[in-house]
Amino acid sequence: MFPIIAKEELGPSVFRLRVRAPLIAAKAQPGQFLIVVLDEKGERVPFTLSDWDAEGGTVDFVFLVVGPTTEKMARLQVGDTIAHCVGPLGRPSHVDTFGHVVCLVSGYGIAAMVPVLRALKGKDNQITTIVQAPDKKRLFGLEALKEWSDKVLVATSDNGNGKGPLASDQLRHLLAEHPNQPIHRVVAMCSLCLMWVVTELTRPLRIPTFLHMTPIMVDGTGMCGACRLQVEGTNRFACVHGPEFDGHKIGSWDVLLARRCSYADENVLQQSYSCRTCSQW
Amino acid sequence: MSGSEKPQERAKSKKKVNLNRVPMPKQEPEERIHNFNEVARGYTFEMAVEEARRCLNCKKRNCERGCPVSIDIPEFIAAIQKGDLEVAASVLKRKTSLPGICGRVCPQEVQCEKACTLSKKKAPVAIGRLERYVADWERLHNMTTIPERGAPTGKRVAVVGSGPAGLTVAADLAILGHEVTMFEALHVAGGVLAYGIPEFRLPKEIVQQEVEYVKNLGVELLPDTVIGINFSIDELLNTRYDALFLGTGAGLPMFLGVPGEDLNMVYSANEFLTRTNLMKAYLYPEYATPIKMGRKVTVIGGGNVAMDAARCAVRLGADSVTVVYRRSRQEMPARLEEIENAEEEGIVFFFLATPIAMLSDGRANVAALECIRMALTEPDESGRRRPVPIEGSEFIIETDTVIVSLGTSPNPLIASTTPDLKTSRWGTVVVDEKGRTSKARVWAGGDIISGGATVISAMGEARRAASAMHEYLTSGSKKIIPPSA
Repeated sequence: MFPIIAKEELGPSVFRLRVRAPLIAAKAQPGQFLIVVLDEKGERVPFTLSDWDAEGGTVDFVFLVVGPTTEKMARLQVGDTIAHCVGPLGRPSHVDTFGHVVCLVSGYGIAAMVPVLRALKGKDNQITTIVQAPDKKRLFGLEALKEWSDKVLVATSDNGNGKGPLASDQLRHLLAEHPNQPIHRVVAMCSLCLMWVVTELTRPLRIPTFLHMTPIMVDGTGMCGACRLQVEGTNRFACVHGPEFDGHKIGSWDVLLARRCSYADENVLQQSYSCRTCSQW
Repeated sequence: MSGSEKPQERAKSKKKVNLNRVPMPKQEPEERIHNFNEVARGYTFEMAVEEARRCLNCKKRNCERGCPVSIDIPEFIAAIQKGDLEVAASVLKRKTSLPGICGRVCPQEVQCEKACTLSKKKAPVAIGRLERYVADWERLHNMTTIPERGAPTGKRVAVVGSGPAGLTVAADLAILGHEVTMFEALHVAGGVLAYGIPEFRLPKEIVQQEVEYVKNLGVELLPDTVIGINFSIDELLNTRYDALFLGTGAGLPMFLGVPGEDLNMVYSANEFLTRTNLMKAYLYPEYATPIKMGRKVTVIGGGNVAMDAARCAVRLGADSVTVVYRRSRQEMPARLEEIENAEEEGIVFFFLATPIAMLSDGRANVAALECIRMALTEPDESGRRRPVPIEGSEFIIETDTVIVSLGTSPNPLIASTTPDLKTSRWGTVVVDEKGRTSKARVWAGGDIISGGATVISAMGEARRAASAMHEYLTSGSKKIIPPSA
C-alpha cells in the first residue's frame, strides 16, 4: 500500500499528490512516469513524475480530473492509501548542455515538465518556457516554471482582450528570430495536437524537437503494445522506448490523435482542460 | 509402501476396462458464449472414481515419464480408485505446487495421456481431469496442507517473475529451506496465468489460491516491483541474494509489420487479453478498465492465445469472430480441445490466408483486412509445411476489430540492463542443460528461455533450475560457478 503524504489543489480540478513510494523515488529520473492502481478493481493509469525525494522516499504527480478514476483520486485525502504504484517507468528525458532550449507545456505537462527543466538548468541551458492554458483561472504551477526558466511566456485565451495567443503563436515568434537568436532544442509536454503543430513548425528549421508522448497504456512495462507508435516506420512502445521521442521521426499523427481519444467516450467526463484547438486535453 | 499395495490394485483392475473416458461435463455452447464462467465444470466424485478405475496401474509408468515434472501418476490415480483423495492430493503436491492449474491448462494429450498404455487401444485415462478433480477437492474442502519445510539453510534466493516458472522455483526452494523472495512487475501475481489465460479456461480464483499456497510456504511476494528498474540483477546479487532465478516470460507482443497495423481497434492479443482477464474489463464498470470492441472481430494467428482471444471476443458480445491462419487446421499450434471449443462457440476459421495490409475507415479505425491466400509447400527438414503466398489471390475481409496473435518475445528490459547475460538473437536467455545462464548465480526457465511454450514446460524447466540452484546453495563452499561458455 502506498500512503498519501500530501495533497494540494493547484487549480480547478487539478491536484498534486505526494505518495510514499521509496522504491520509485530511489531511481526516479526526469521525464519518467509511474503507474497507479487506486484499488483492486482499479485501472492502471500512467502519470509523469512531477517531483520526488529519494531520501524521504516520496514521489509527486499531478493529475487533471477527466474521468471516473481521476475523480475518485481527487477525493482521496492525506492518510488514505493507493493500492499499487509502480515505476519509475520509461526512459529518462535526454538532458545535456544544448544551449537555448524552448519548452512547451500545457495541462498536466505544466507540472510534469518541472524535473526536466530543473535538469536542463543544471546543465547550464538557457530556457524559454511557453505555457498554454484555457484561461488564467486554469493556469497553475507558474511559479515552478519561472524558477527553472530564464523566461516564461504565457498563452491563455484571456491575455487582456479575450483573444490571447496560442502557444504555437508564441513559438512562431521565437522561431522567426532563429537563427539570429538561435534555438538549439525544443521539448514539449503538452496536448498531442499542439505537439504535432510544434513538430511541423520546427521541421523546416531542423531544430531538434523532443516530445513526451502520452498514448493510452495498460501495463506500462512493454507487455501490451497499446501505446505503440510509428517512429521512423517501425513500431515503438511509449512505455519502454519512450515516452520521449524525436518528434520529426514520428509518423501517423492522425492515428495517434484518434487513438488518444479512442476511450474518451467511456472514460472522460469533462474536458475543461481540453486543448483550445482540438478536443484533446 | 506403494509396492505392497500394487498387486492388490492390479487384481482389482482385472475386470473389463471401459475404453472410453468419462466425458467432462461442460457448459453448453449457447449458454457459455454469454458468460466468462469456466467451460469445463469438472468431474463429480463418482465420475472421478469411475475414470480412475480405467487406469490399469501398469508396470510401464509411461505416463510419469511423459510428465515434464514427473508426477507419480499411477499412485495418485490409485488413491482416487480407493476414494482416498487426501493421499491423492499429497502425491500430486510432491511434484507440483500448482495442480489446479496444471490439471486445466497442461496439453496432456501430447504428454502423460499420449504415453498412457490405454491410448494404444482407444482413449487414454483422463489424467488431467483427475488431477484437476483432486486439486479442486482439496481447495473446496479446505484440505490444503502445507508440506513440512526443510531446516533453514540461511540462503536467500530472488525469483524474478511470478508466473508458472517463478511459482514453481519459489515453492521448490522454499520447501528445501531457502528464504525466497518473488518479484512481480504487475499488481497481481501469476504472470500469464493472470493476464493471459481467460477466466473461462482458468478461473483467477484458482490462480490466486495456488499463489497463496506458495506464499504459505514462506515465499515473500513483492508485486509492483520491476527488476531491471527498481533493482538490477547485480544489485540483488550483491546486496542480499545468494542466487537468482529469471522467469520473466515472453511478454513482448509481436506484430505483423503490415501497413495500417497501427490503426485504432487493432489490438495485440496481449492487450486484448490483459484488459479482459487481468483488468476484468468484462465486468466494467465494476472494474474500472474498459475494452472497446466492434461487432466483426478478426483474430490473426492459430495458437492457444489466438483461441483465447477469439473466445473472449465471443463472450464480450461480438456478432462474428473470424480466425485467420496462414496454414491449415492440421498445422494449428492450438490444442485440439481449444479449437473444438472455439468451433462450438461459432468462431469461423479462415485457413491458408494472411493479412498483407489493414485498411482504414478514413477516421483512423480499421475497416478491413487485405489478405492473400497461401499454399503449403512440401514438408521441410523440420517436417513442417511452410506457407507461401499465392500471387494475385488478394481478397478483402471486412472487420472493425483486429486482434493480432502472432506470439511474443522476451521483454528486453532485463537483458538490456544485464550486459553479461547471454541472449540469443531472438532475445531469449541462453541456458545450459541445468537452466544455468551465462551469468554466475543466475538461472532461468520458462518462456524467457524458450520464447513461448506451455505452462507445464515452464514448470519443468523451473524444477530443473531449482534442483541445480539447491545443489549450488548447499554445496558447502560458496564458490562462484564460472559462467558457462
